Amino acid sequence: MAVESQYYLLLSAAVFCVGLFGVLSRRNALIFLMSVELMLNAANINFVAFSYQYGNLTGQTFSLFVMALAAAEVAVGIGIILVLYRNFKDIDVTKATTMRW
Amino acid sequence: MAALDLSPAIPLLPFASFLIALLVGHFYPRALPKGGAVPGIIATGVALFLSAWTAFTVSGGEYLNETIYTWAAADSFELAFGVLIDPLSALMLVVVSLVAFLVHIFSLGYMNDEGETGLARYYAGLGLFTASMLAFVIADNLLMAFMFFELVGLCSYLLIGFWFREEGPPSAAKKAFLVTRFGDYFFLIGVVAVFATFGTAKFVGTEEHPGFPTLAEHALTGSAEHVHTFLGMGTEAWFIVVGLLILGGVVGKSAQFPLHTWLPDAMEGPTPVSALIHAATMVAAGVYLVARMYGFYVQIPTLLALIAFIGGFTALFAATMGVVKKEIKQVLAYSTISQYGYIMLGLGAGGYVAGTFHLLTHAFFKALLFLGAGSVIIAMHHNENMWDMGGLKEKMPVTYYTFLSGSLALAGIVPFAGFWSKDEVLYEALVHGLGGLEAGYEGSLLLGAYAMGLLAVFFTGFYTFRMVLLTFHGEPRSETARDPHGVGWNVKFPLVVLGILAATVGFINMVPVAELTGMEIEFLHEWLNGPIETASAHHYGDLLHEVAHIHAAELSPLIPGAVSLGLALAGAGLAIALYRGPDPTEHTDKLGSAKTVLYNNYYQDEYQVWLAEGLTMPLSRLADKFDQGIIDGVVNGVSTVSKASGRRMRYLQTGNVTNYVALATASFVALLIVVGILGGWLL
Repeated sequence: MAVESQYYLLLSAAVFCVGLFGVLSRRNALIFLMSVELMLNAANINFVAFSYQYGNLTGQTFSLFVMALAAAEVAVGIGIILVLYRNFKDIDVTKATTMRW
Repeated sequence: MAALDLSPAIPLLPFASFLIALLVGHFYPRALPKGGAVPGIIATGVALFLSAWTAFTVSGGEYLNETIYTWAAADSFELAFGVLIDPLSALMLVVVSLVAFLVHIFSLGYMNDEGETGLARYYAGLGLFTASMLAFVIADNLLMAFMFFELVGLCSYLLIGFWFREEGPPSAAKKAFLVTRFGDYFFLIGVVAVFATFGTAKFVGTEEHPGFPTLAEHALTGSAEHVHTFLGMGTEAWFIVVGLLILGGVVGKSAQFPLHTWLPDAMEGPTPVSALIHAATMVAAGVYLVARMYGFYVQIPTLLALIAFIGGFTALFAATMGVVKKEIKQVLAYSTISQYGYIMLGLGAGGYVAGTFHLLTHAFFKALLFLGAGSVIIAMHHNENMWDMGGLKEKMPVTYYTFLSGSLALAGIVPFAGFWSKDEVLYEALVHGLGGLEAGYEGSLLLGAYAMGLLAVFFTGFYTFRMVLLTFHGEPRSETARDPHGVGWNVKFPLVVLGILAATVGFINMVPVAELTGMEIEFLHEWLNGPIETASAHHYGDLLHEVAHIHAAELSPLIPGAVSLGLALAGAGLAIALYRGPDPTEHTDKLGSAKTVLYNNYYQDEYQVWLAEGLTMPLSRLADKFDQGIIDGVVNGVSTVSKASGRRMRYLQTGNVTNYVALATASFVALLIVVGILGGWLL
């Protein structure tokens, strides 16, 4: 017997909240990146779960795209973190506030 | 028929000479013999030939009335260039091209022989002027007339300011431009009003689509179908408004009171320009416009009386100022204003033929007088003060006798041209004034205008002969007058042609003689009873009686003629009594305080400057304050508010990513709650 859909959704919500908590509470840019990955994967879980429930492959295909996108995002994100470190000698996101008014 | 087909070429020829003088004069001046005079003389000469041919064809009962080029068309009206050749425009074509031709020749003596520089510019200006004036004359609709009306004004400005390095001419040019433009502003609104009222601005139109004078006639005599009036006015009241608006342009261009102040100042320009533009042709454009759309004006007695009254008043007013002037060209300038007053008087009195007749004779004798004055000015090394002249009679006989012919015509001494035309103008004013007395106030206004015109005859005789005596008679009063500079054939030839015309052109319409002998010699009357029924003198006469209800009183022309001749002779006699002898004395001091007023031209300039500086300027300042304070204030206020709030709001942007994420999350949660509550699935 397959697992009910709502459990997948609960898992997804939990993973998302973990990611959101990470973004809100941490200062380290690398942790930020990881948290964003968590939130993306929470979305992926939803895609796959619904795809499974409705017997429609579109959701699964989409989740593949999201993974590719996440990889690209990580590449760009790490580049940004490198530059951040070069300019501020730190990767604490709360210190890089020079681009305000 | 061929002549009429060629008529559009008449304005195009001087335009070509303008282009030649302008382009060749700019890029390769050495290829331009006589600084552009030769192309100008050829172009105006051929134009004169074509005009004469056209006039000859028109005398055979033919006419031309067609649209050449439509440059904008809408459902209800179209804007077009067209040609209307009828007896009136054919007559004017001959006058303009003849005077332009003679002035081009005269310029050889006045400009080329005097070693002026910038001749290409001068001849380009003359060419453009002649072209636009001729195009104005043949215009078949009011808008085209307006466009060329403006263009002649521009040429006037350019040519008055020809010597732009001196102090006087540029300022005189600006004044002429601004004062006439003030009148033209009303004219422009008038053109729009005519389009809005009648849906067409054609002077004559066709059988199916008649011109606006005919439409006005239909409206006033009954079927008011195609006419829109505005401001809730009745048909006639609205027509008066339209007529007055167009009259604004007429008053400005023909230098009538109160917009006459630019003309005396315009004498700063070269004398041939004064002869061509500020005496014979451009100033005539105003009154020609009245004659062109006479079918409109003649139906409205109020407008007629007003035109006549402005004319009569200007005739007297300007003549009194001419009495005290010292410069020969100033006397002529005031006399020009005064004579155009007579033309207005004639037209306003219902004398279409009389007004046109005086327009014709005046063009010849005033161009002659200006060219004669130009000849004197060459001889006097550009000194215009008559008190430095004297005794030029023996030294320059050709100038003297032609100038005398023009002076006799101007003063209105029988049998010179001015006598016949001025006499007819005054006669028309008198008979229609007497006949209009029963009709109401129009009659008394006309009689008042007649009285002023009659009085002006005396002053005209006086200042004319004062000018002749001071310039040519007596002993020379300065070194240059003792040994004047000679003038060549190119000065004498135009003088002789115009001198003969000034003496003889009045014979085409000798009304008193026709009355006396019963001969059919009123040729101008027959000429103007042309082939186009709605634009003929005969039709205008009918309109005057049947629509305007002004009738002519029965009166022999002999006694009024004798009175005006007597007054002219009295004026001339007084001048001769005062200024004859070898060494005449100045008598102006005897006028007492009147002299100061006359020297200052009745303080016309002063009050107009006051109007500009004391009245218009504070008003403009107020408008400026409104613009800067209220209009700009609102715009600036909006920007200040958004700028200030932006300055406050920017602290929202901390630069801290965590804050942004927190804000986004909080907002999303809030949104979710709101949607949930509203949607009913939460709580």
